Amino acid sequence: MSNRFRNALALAAAGAITLAGCSDPGADTGSGGPVTWPAQDADLSGTTLTIWAAQNSNTVPDSVIAGFEELTGAEVEVVTIPDPYEQGVQTKVATGDKPDLAFWQPTASQLTALNATQNLQPLDDAPWLDAYQPDLRDITGILDDTRYATLITTPAVEGVYYNKEVFAANGITATPTDWDSFLQTARDLKAAGVTPFHEMAADRWGTQWWVQVQLADAAADGLWDRVNADEEAFTDPTIQGAIDNYKALIDEGLFNADIKTATFEDQGAALLAGDAAMVMQVNSFFGQLQSLADTEELDQKIGFFPISPSGNTGTFIPDQSNALVAFKTGDEQREAAARQLLSYWMGDGYQDFVNAQSTVSLQTGVETPADVPEALLAVSESVGTSVGSMQALAIANPDLYIYLADMIQGTKTPAEVAEATQSQFAELAKAQGAEGF
Amino acid sequence: MLAKGKAGPRRQDHPLWFLIPALAVLVVFFLVPTAFNFVYAFTDWSSFKSDINFAGVDNFTSLISNGTLRNALKVTLVYAVLVAIFQNAFGLGLALLLERDTRVNRAVRVAFFVPVIMSALAVGYIFQALLKPDGALNGIIGWFTGAEVSIPWLGDTTWTIVVVAIVHAWKWMGLSMLIYLAGLKTISEDVLEAARLDGAGRWTMFRSIRFPLLAPAVTFNVATALLGSMNGFDIVQATTEGGPGGTTELLNIYIFRTFGQGLFAQATTMSLVLFLLVAILAFPVIRFLRKREDVL
Repeated sequence: MSNRFRNALALAAAGAITLAGCSDPGADTGSGGPVTWPAQDADLSGTTLTIWAAQNSNTVPDSVIAGFEELTGAEVEVVTIPDPYEQGVQTKVATGDKPDLAFWQPTASQLTALNATQNLQPLDDAPWLDAYQPDLRDITGILDDTRYATLITTPAVEGVYYNKEVFAANGITATPTDWDSFLQTARDLKAAGVTPFHEMAADRWGTQWWVQVQLADAAADGLWDRVNADEEAFTDPTIQGAIDNYKALIDEGLFNADIKTATFEDQGAALLAGDAAMVMQVNSFFGQLQSLADTEELDQKIGFFPISPSGNTGTFIPDQSNALVAFKTGDEQREAAARQLLSYWMGDGYQDFVNAQSTVSLQTGVETPADVPEALLAVSESVGTSVGSMQALAIANPDLYIYLADMIQGTKTPAEVAEATQSQFAELAKAQGAEGF
Repeated sequence: MLAKGKAGPRRQDHPLWFLIPALAVLVVFFLVPTAFNFVYAFTDWSSFKSDINFAGVDNFTSLISNGTLRNALKVTLVYAVLVAIFQNAFGLGLALLLERDTRVNRAVRVAFFVPVIMSALAVGYIFQALLKPDGALNGIIGWFTGAEVSIPWLGDTTWTIVVVAIVHAWKWMGLSMLIYLAGLKTISEDVLEAARLDGAGRWTMFRSIRFPLLAPAVTFNVATALLGSMNGFDIVQATTEGGPGGTTELLNIYIFRTFGQGLFAQATTMSLVLFLLVAILAFPVIRFLRKREDVL
């Protein structure tokens, strides 16, 4: 009996292994060769395109889809991938599941994470590139000299949102012009009994902005290139110094007393109510404020200025809602249709899109609608001169924010934060096959 | 299994190859994934490139040199032990309280069983809302004490793991209760009567008669609570996401984070470590608990 049993088992096992295969299911060598760009209104009856979007970006394409479907007869379906979006998409793509288009952070690290050279369509000679404002055209979306992502809205900038009324009540008439005057403003406010800064360590993700804006000058000087080549580490004086400074500012008492338990929602409410004067944040924070107050109130109360050690250089960090990528699906017709949708989005559909989204236009020929709040205009003005964040310029995106939150909770020292970040960065870089790791 | 003498004629109408469909399912959905879990741990599979190469014990050495794994293992063990203690204490307490088959008790048992069938994530999010500094629990305490209370239940680097373990135990205590109730029912009325005649009080009776006779239920409950909570993820993810300061970062949360970074091979290596840890722990624990059953 046991012999026959063993035979049956072996047979079944052999069959199963053949079925399962032993290769990476995400490995798919797509179509190669030069691509064509169909006219925006070419007929697409019977074609269905799928766009993957996150919970906070799934209504972004609505106006574009309506216009495109009417113009071409195509059907466009938006599929919401639950949060955490990036992990969900990466896992799906790794197991061979791909949409035609997806919202995606257009940074080198995130394009690498999606294995762009294998999975994404190159968009190098896209017809809309010349329509961009010149200083925005090549700001992001490019990996190893190939363009894989299309910027659709103004990328987020790390900077300071401040309460204008609190500034005015304390006699501050001009916004800080460099890091020293920024800290002086904070200390003056503290002396006047106002909480200068608000941080949200319970939700963790905002903690990294404080370190990154301090690195703006170094980033302009090639810091991340050196980190990418393993010539400089997070534990070296530049980045370690920024972490140490952040800790020192917290210890100095410049932040809210409930820093350990405060959340993203608390942060918005605190700034709007004037409980704190300034918040170091990115565009999604303004979205949070918009859910709490109307444009008129926001224009009256909230302002924005970028900050860097030597001046007012912003640090830009495009996120998933700012850009789209097109996948190599292996179906040439659908790939062409996906390119056509992008052409329409950034072409004839763009004015409707910025109007529907009340967002800043990236194109010289398309006007920004009048109802965009002032703070957002200030943010987008700073994009052209800003430098890339860690996410934009480093080849990997370690969990710096988690380690910084650990530091605020007291379970890591600043030195341990840098060590943990460096070791994770090295691990990711090694997995990518980066030289030097 | 069948007795030996009967195997012959039975095999005529049930030929062994009838097993193949069932075996195929077993192999495809259970054996192969488990085997791949072992295989991928020794490769460099990641989201960054499409070829998978053999990497030897690279993943293991880098994991061992990394302090995060040690922390996650420690947190996982502490969490599992806490859950096992709380879940069994609550379950046994409830079983003893609700032992008699009255109508009220039956209804109350159902009430305590409801959390078991609830979604763990939903439970986690509800408790996250209740335990916020401005949440309902602090509101209730504040109402009784008459002062503003803002205890960060989920924000303490020492005690939050206990709080989260209690939430996990709360969710599963109904199941333990049910098993202890069944155990209590199997104790022979004669033994209890004899003890009563010998003048045993309620406490003596519980300590010397009923608890020892519950040994099989204890074995099952402790083993499932301990080993099951080592695989814990959902409740902790929903309440603390591993925070504050990494003090509730279970191995599974660390695996989830690593997988999300695109380091699939490293994540697989960690799940292999978890698998081995559970296996290594399971044998002595179950042997010890079975030994207690020798009184039966």
